[in-house]
Amino acid sequence: MKYFKNFYVLSAILFAMTLVSCESEDPVMENDEEVITDVTLRFTELDNSGATIGDPFEFVASDPQGIELGSPTIETVNLTKGKSYRMEILLYNSIADEDITEEVQEESDEHQFYFLGSAFIGSPVLTYTYDDPSGELIGLRGNVVVSQSTGLNNANMRIILRHDLDKSFPGADNPNFQNFVAAGGETDLDITFPLVLN
Amino acid sequence: MGAISAFGQKCDFSIRGKILHQENNDPIVGAYIWVVESATGAVSNENGNFEVKNLCAGNYTLTIQYLGHKEIKDSISLNSNNFNKTYRLEEESMELGGVEIHGHKLAVQTTTSVSALYGEALLEARGESLGESLKRISGVTTFSTGNSISKPVIHGMHSNRIMILNNGIRLEGQQWGAEHAPEIDPFVADEITVIKGAETVRYGPEAMGGVILVNPAPLPTKKDPKTNLYLTGGTNGRMGNISVSHANGSNKIKGLGYQVQASAKRAGNIQSPDYYQGNTGLSELNFSGSLGYSSSKLGIEGYYSYFNTTLGILRDSHTGNLDDLISIIENGRPFSDPGFTYDIVNPKQVVSHHLGKVKSHYHLSDTWKLNFQYGFQANNRQEFDKRRGDLNDRASLDLQLFTNTLDLYLDHNLKNEWSGSFGINAIQQANSNIPGTGVTPLIPNYDMLNLGLYAIEKYSKGPLEIEGGFRYDTRSVNTARFVGSELQEADLRYNNFSAFIGGLYQINPKITFNSNLGTAWRPPNVNELFSEGLHHGAAAVEIGDADLNSENSVKWVNELEYDGGRTHLEITAYANHISDYIYLSPTGETYVSLRGTFNVYEYLQANAFFYGFDFSGSYVFTERISAYAKGSIIRAKNTEEDNYFPFIPSDRMDWGLAYQFGSLSNSKTNKLTISNLLVARQKREPDFDLAPAPPAYAIFNIAYQKQIAIGEDKLNLGIQVQNLFNASYKEYMNRFRYFTDDMGRNILLKINYQF
Repeated sequence: MKYFKNFYVLSAILFAMTLVSCESEDPVMENDEEVITDVTLRFTELDNSGATIGDPFEFVASDPQGIELGSPTIETVNLTKGKSYRMEILLYNSIADEDITEEVQEESDEHQFYFLGSAFIGSPVLTYTYDDPSGELIGLRGNVVVSQSTGLNNANMRIILRHDLDKSFPGADNPNFQNFVAAGGETDLDITFPLVLN
Repeated sequence: MGAISAFGQKCDFSIRGKILHQENNDPIVGAYIWVVESATGAVSNENGNFEVKNLCAGNYTLTIQYLGHKEIKDSISLNSNNFNKTYRLEEESMELGGVEIHGHKLAVQTTTSVSALYGEALLEARGESLGESLKRISGVTTFSTGNSISKPVIHGMHSNRIMILNNGIRLEGQQWGAEHAPEIDPFVADEITVIKGAETVRYGPEAMGGVILVNPAPLPTKKDPKTNLYLTGGTNGRMGNISVSHANGSNKIKGLGYQVQASAKRAGNIQSPDYYQGNTGLSELNFSGSLGYSSSKLGIEGYYSYFNTTLGILRDSHTGNLDDLISIIENGRPFSDPGFTYDIVNPKQVVSHHLGKVKSHYHLSDTWKLNFQYGFQANNRQEFDKRRGDLNDRASLDLQLFTNTLDLYLDHNLKNEWSGSFGINAIQQANSNIPGTGVTPLIPNYDMLNLGLYAIEKYSKGPLEIEGGFRYDTRSVNTARFVGSELQEADLRYNNFSAFIGGLYQINPKITFNSNLGTAWRPPNVNELFSEGLHHGAAAVEIGDADLNSENSVKWVNELEYDGGRTHLEITAYANHISDYIYLSPTGETYVSLRGTFNVYEYLQANAFFYGFDFSGSYVFTERISAYAKGSIIRAKNTEEDNYFPFIPSDRMDWGLAYQFGSLSNSKTNKLTISNLLVARQKREPDFDLAPAPPAYAIFNIAYQKQIAIGEDKLNLGIQVQNLFNASYKEYMNRFRYFTDDMGRNILLKINYQF
């Protein structure tokens, strides 16, 4: 039986050599590039002719951890009854320091914002119209008219960003399209901003 | 003879025995046993057993002969009716001219319940994935993700709880994922065998539920060119599949042989009865080759296989958040119906798998054989999600897994009743996330080393075989990953002892009973330990637990087989107790992010008890008409919480009638089979599921198989209609039941030409 032992020893050495040559790589830090950590609503008041007046003001929803941990911080939006605003949406990834607004703009055929919640649905206090500079329906820029006559002082603005949807689906051109899931695609953002009307 | 009778003794003794191959312990059918003194004889049966009856007490000379094997002469003394002896026949050495040399075939060495798919049944399964093919064996179902990804399930266990051996090497891919199909081309197989017992001792950790052996035909050892061409087409998904294999040997160098094989597959969007499933195409390209040499003492074989697939994932199954998921579940079908296309877009998987192995054995003596096997595997898995901009072209999961396996074992087939094997087994693995995904890796990089030592011994005497074995394993796992900017490292170690005992008894020539009791273990997988992140398909955040223990199981399998001419019946019953069974459980909590809400799942452990039975039987009514039925029942319970685990197959049965045109005696197939699959609703549902279990369903299938001889060549023609009535149904074991109906009618044409 002696030569069995030699055989085993030899094989063990051979095997040990292959082990050395096959090790896992050192891990590398990976930035979550897909995540949107900061969503900013930038409002600028519009006059009757549609020209902007005054300084823009912003409300931010942020979640620096991305999806993993914690609840997002969402500021309360304050608007004035009877006024019209330009609303721009700015998207940012603070983990990878990337401007997502641009990326969405570049893929305008695959992205669209929808505006739901009690502010836009039912007896709406806000009326939204797409006003993207390119003329496409994206929602990165739009006009919001605050109702003059409403008795309500509070509402919710639910803002949804859909990705990879069928933009020509019947009804998909409506910014308040409640059945947006039927147009296919998936949700990239779903944020509800509290709204206070003055 | 007269002289012996003259003693006036009782002459109703028998000589019983068993004839086995020295090489692989397979029973030899048709060996001729001659008792010189009495001038009477017998022929060994299917199990290698024989009996020479009506002998008086006395001394006899036995000669045992079988073509191509060395004759055995044995002098025995018969003085009771208990005589029973095992003989092992050795093949004649190849130096003898004109003797056919068999490849050194490795038979499945187990006393536990075994079922195999080969010959005609395998021919009918050609063109299907490994998981789909194996559904033809009772007790085997699939856990699938849509219609192109299916994982075999044996007695309710799948993924890392069963083992797949590709030509003797344990397949090491990323089997932890529910949507990770085995990286194997079923066309490499000449025979696919399922062992339903716990076989950790023989094959190493994780073989808890069973083992699947995908074995190519033995290599030729002399010049005998054989080519096999398979062409398969299916209407659903407009699938096309081609496979060619060629094998030959050499006359110049005796014992040298080779085999090469390649296959390609392409399919587009699958059609459910009312709509097309968007982005469900696939393309596959596979290749394998082997070269071997065998002489009387030495056998050596090299094998390489390459598997490469691109799989589309149903677009609507990738949901952005819980609301999306709920919407599509309520809808019961995908929102989109893009019609037919072969194009595959994101989400998709691109998987490649290389396997190379060298195997050798050397006969140290007539009875001892030394075996060496080394395997190398490289698995690359890329999963693409629908993402923004140039990220869309980058995989969001990109894993490279290298595995080295080494087996050294010593077999003995002694001249008496004993045979067995002692061995060492080493598995070394390195898993790396390829940087640049732009996503925190779901599982860490890791290095794993597993060393095992085992011994198995078998006693075969006449109708009885008893087998036992034990094994000791030690495994170390070192992991490292960055979560954000924080480096997380872990060093883990697992040790385990496992053992089994089993037996097989041929009660009479028609009835065989076998029983096997075995322990098995499985260390927790890295995903169970360290998962942390979003699982797109389930809109869920899955969280691992680094403190999980190994799972330990005890499985008891019993099988009764009856073979009575017209009737064939097999019943397998089993019970499997698993302590510390690892499962994914909803926490009831949700994560809220800017993207929406997600369910949170965590990995937990609890004691589990699985039991059930499988049956398969056939009956020949007349020369033309026969019938078959097979089915399985599984019960699986969390015995601590007293509730049910998710994704356990529901009760099912498949039965059919076959009509043979022309007489059976001309041995050429010309057969029409009508079959019906009945699947019950899974009433034993877990406490939490995204959607209730789908209703019961019934599917009808028709198959026609004909063999035509063209000179020396053979042409096999098959026409199959699956889901004949285009029924809309959802299978509980398909994870996409949340999103879509299963596949509608599919008409397949299968052509095989052997020349």
